[in-house]
Amino acid sequence: MRIGVYVCHCGLNIASVLDVEELRRFAESLPGVVVARDLQFTCSDAGQDAIKNDIKELGVEAVVVSACSPRLHEPTFRRTISEAGLNQYMLEMANIREQCSWVHMEEPALATQKAKDLIAMAVAKASLLQPLESETMPVSRDVLVVGGGVAGISAALDLANAGLRVYLLERKPTIGGYMALLTDVFPTNDCSICVLAPKMAEALAHPLINIMTYSEILSIDGSVGRFTVSGVRKARYVDESACKGCIGECAGVCPVEMPNEYDFSIGKRKAIYMAIPQSVPLVACIDENACIGCGRCEEACPADAIRYDQQDQEFRLDAGAIVVATGWQPFDAKRKEEFGFGRLRDVLTTLQVERMLNAAGPTGGEVVRPSTGEVARSIAFLQCVGSRDQTVGNLYCSRICCMASLKNSQLIKEKYPDADISIHYIDMRAGGEGYEEFYLRAQRLGIRFVRGRASSVEQGEDGVYLHYEDTFLGRSVRKRYDIVVLSIGLEPDSGADVIGNVLGLARRPDRFFEIAHPKMRPVEAHIDGVFIAGCASGPKEIQVSIAQGSAAASKAMQLLIKGELDLDPTVAYVDQDRCIGCKLCVDTCPSKAISVKGTALVEEARCKGCGTCAAACPTDAIKMRLFTDEQIMAQVEAATAVKGEYPFIVAFLCNWCSYAGADLAGTSRIQYPTNARIIRVMCAGRVDPSFILEALRRGAEGVLVMGCRIGECHYVKGNLQALQRVQVLRSVLEKAGLDPRRVRIAWCAASEGDILARTVKEFVEELKDLGPVGTELMQAADQAIRPGLTDKADPNKKPPNGAEQKEA
Amino acid sequence: MKLAYYPGCVARSTGKEYDLSTRAVAQALGVELEEISDWNCCGATHCSNQDLAVALSARNLARTGLPVMTSCSICYSNLRDAAIRLQDRTLRDRVNRVLEVKYQGSTIKHVLEVIMEGLEGEEGGKRVVVPLGGLRVAPYYGCLLTRPKGGIDSPEQPQVLESLIRRLGGEPVEFPLKMLCCGGPIFMPQDGAASESVLRILRSARQAGAEAVVAVCPLCHLMLDAKQRLAEAKSGEELGLPVLYVTQLAGIALGLGPDELGLEMNSVSALEVAEEIYRRMSGEQQC
Repeated sequence: MRIGVYVCHCGLNIASVLDVEELRRFAESLPGVVVARDLQFTCSDAGQDAIKNDIKELGVEAVVVSACSPRLHEPTFRRTISEAGLNQYMLEMANIREQCSWVHMEEPALATQKAKDLIAMAVAKASLLQPLESETMPVSRDVLVVGGGVAGISAALDLANAGLRVYLLERKPTIGGYMALLTDVFPTNDCSICVLAPKMAEALAHPLINIMTYSEILSIDGSVGRFTVSGVRKARYVDESACKGCIGECAGVCPVEMPNEYDFSIGKRKAIYMAIPQSVPLVACIDENACIGCGRCEEACPADAIRYDQQDQEFRLDAGAIVVATGWQPFDAKRKEEFGFGRLRDVLTTLQVERMLNAAGPTGGEVVRPSTGEVARSIAFLQCVGSRDQTVGNLYCSRICCMASLKNSQLIKEKYPDADISIHYIDMRAGGEGYEEFYLRAQRLGIRFVRGRASSVEQGEDGVYLHYEDTFLGRSVRKRYDIVVLSIGLEPDSGADVIGNVLGLARRPDRFFEIAHPKMRPVEAHIDGVFIAGCASGPKEIQVSIAQGSAAASKAMQLLIKGELDLDPTVAYVDQDRCIGCKLCVDTCPSKAISVKGTALVEEARCKGCGTCAAACPTDAIKMRLFTDEQIMAQVEAATAVKGEYPFIVAFLCNWCSYAGADLAGTSRIQYPTNARIIRVMCAGRVDPSFILEALRRGAEGVLVMGCRIGECHYVKGNLQALQRVQVLRSVLEKAGLDPRRVRIAWCAASEGDILARTVKEFVEELKDLGPVGTELMQAADQAIRPGLTDKADPNKKPPNGAEQKEA
Repeated sequence: MKLAYYPGCVARSTGKEYDLSTRAVAQALGVELEEISDWNCCGATHCSNQDLAVALSARNLARTGLPVMTSCSICYSNLRDAAIRLQDRTLRDRVNRVLEVKYQGSTIKHVLEVIMEGLEGEEGGKRVVVPLGGLRVAPYYGCLLTRPKGGIDSPEQPQVLESLIRRLGGEPVEFPLKMLCCGGPIFMPQDGAASESVLRILRSARQAGAEAVVAVCPLCHLMLDAKQRLAEAKSGEELGLPVLYVTQLAGIALGLGPDELGLEMNSVSALEVAEEIYRRMSGEQQC
């Protein structure tokens, strides 16, 4: 390999501390190096031209830029060399600014020695670089949107308006979700269905949207760009194309009456029914569990649309991306037994009251006492039923219930100003545009706010009695109400378990789907090509769900609009000859990119390149491109070739947090000892115990592994896997007679340059106490030979078996 | 079946009739009881020091290898609470350091559970020789029978007493205050509030049409039965509701005599209830 090395002065940023000319001469002497230059500013046009020139004139095949952090200028120099005709991956950078000259300003000699090692390590890796080709893959431009609530509808419309074909899949017989069942919605109290129905109709009429209601997913195979989805479209026993949606004719003669789930059992429906008057599609549906097969609807139907012989139909479709908008389900109020829902007739849920308030609902817009049928004049709303409650396992705030109760109480109060309404709350949460004003409006209307948990509801002679604590008055109170309304929280829809499982979506402890980053990537799943919108990832109000639907659509568009995907070549692959099919890698992979059929196979479009599988593989059959075992071992070897410092540390830092933390220490000029030689890996999970052993074998006093803070790993749990491996390795070292403290693992965020500096400093101090690597083995050997002598340095140490051979 | 019996302190004082009827009912159901030797307080009186309370319960439980039965809801709750807390290794080791016989896990039953098991199936049904004849009974649970949760029934809306009453041929009345505090824990410092609680419970049972109340806890029984007169005097209201221990009510149905069940020891006469039941049975037989 013909290697060119370019040592940058960076003005005086590097040159004021390091002896650049010395570094250049050193680089020139390294094996494979055909040219070594020092440049004032390598990233300037002049600097880049020098590199390009050498590639053309001297036939340089791999380039080492010894300058700043690769996190800053790797893209720049990749572009430079590819413009000169080299493969862009034939580049390696030695970080002698952020991780050398800026952090060792008072120790120029030691810093220059460290910079030599860093250059030697980069040259060693460069000599093993392989050109990598970015492949493009044709993709399906169709998108599957799962869930026909407001988030799904919003995503579908945006995608279709951008020219992508959409399959909008819904489990219920109509799209619209919960929003279609609500009455007026906060904070403007506009009619929910009035604003939603036009969107539902637009989706139905859109030539690029295929609405598939009453359908469920069975399996999803493939990966980003080419998912294959299979599912079933349930029989509704009505010909969708023939049905005119008149519903009165068929439902009018149906003899079967049952509680209407779309009214939350307040009203009734027939066995042949339409979920809501605005159903999309406007088609009847026969509930096969309720129908007695009397045939009356068939006789009554003026359009001859009834089909008793209809069958469930399986379907298959291809999609390039999937939007998961599976929404939520209400908390089961029966679980809070003390409130008596399901036992006491006058205890209702928010959703039941929503239906009552709805002019098209079962009570024609009146909130009534179910026990008497009279209009309710005294109403208590209990907040946080099933939310913020450890006894039911829901620690989270459901976010919309405070506003929903404020809204419902206002609607009632506007109609019946003398109604006695109280809201029992722990904290009122009204954070959002216009929300606080909405809360104030409720206060002005004379709605009573009582702070404190209610304890129980009991049936009295003349109505239900609420027991509650008023924490402002310091009193416990028993008060009669016409109805008590339980403000039930939101839980993830249990119907989404199937799609969660077939896609391998991660869940948070609150059981909602986890997004790729809790702040920065709000609609992306951990799986490429899968996006999450709306309440599937946690309780949200309508406006946020719509925004998320649009955001997910925009992400899917960026991915698919070109019709082809550029695949990042820095992914793992399996050497089929070495793989023993043990499946260890399958569970290790955070992206579910590995499957085993005899031997393992990495689905490269899914792989995100953390390399933790390569570290886990017991036969080294998995190769991580650009971070191969051989390349990293070469870096370790080059680092330890001279060992010009004591104690000597080889450090493995993950690209996203700890390497970035080290860069920050540099830009912040936080000074720390020169002893560590840093090797960059994408994830701490890439660190194979054999790298650590090799570093120790070659004389490093200690090895430092650093990753993102726990819970913040960019590959979900790579840092935990690193921790586990280090712990195992430590116990192995101890058995072999080496002090386990020689291997240290630590966490550092990209913002924690001080922590990185402190960690290196502490480690250096500790290693000074431990002495040169192998001291402990020699002491043990001494004791084994002369057991009568007490070892004063370490009296607790027992002589390990076979320590002498190890040392040899 | 053989069970270890933990009587608890009340069995030696205000709840002698509960102890008596418990032993009698167990015998009638073919359950052999072996009283735990040298038993001590369940820990209820040491609620200010949780670790000590747990250790006291642990000492009782460790003294037998048999499942432990108690009839007192307070003891039942405390023993169960201890058993749950002792699943924690650290606490268990700490407690075992001071115990002469080490605690190694235990099963705890309330006499109500033992009765329910004894009445299961056809065989159990045959044991009800004096059915209650539709006697309207108010099932009063009190607070500790169902707590901590995960025990005999739901902590908020239990149904086990209702099932028992039906099984014995009675009719459980639906009364909303079946879980309300009896006032027992506060009857010394807050006499008035405690009396108020007693009144409300009994009034609610009376309004529901109850002819008798069944209780499962000696403290509840003390409040509803022995303190009923006091509550009547304070309010000027006449209640006159007999309050039977669950073992007394079950005992009557199992054909045990008033003496065996200590019916005459209750403050509000329970004998009349027994007589009413006998009257109904002979009436039915004549028809």
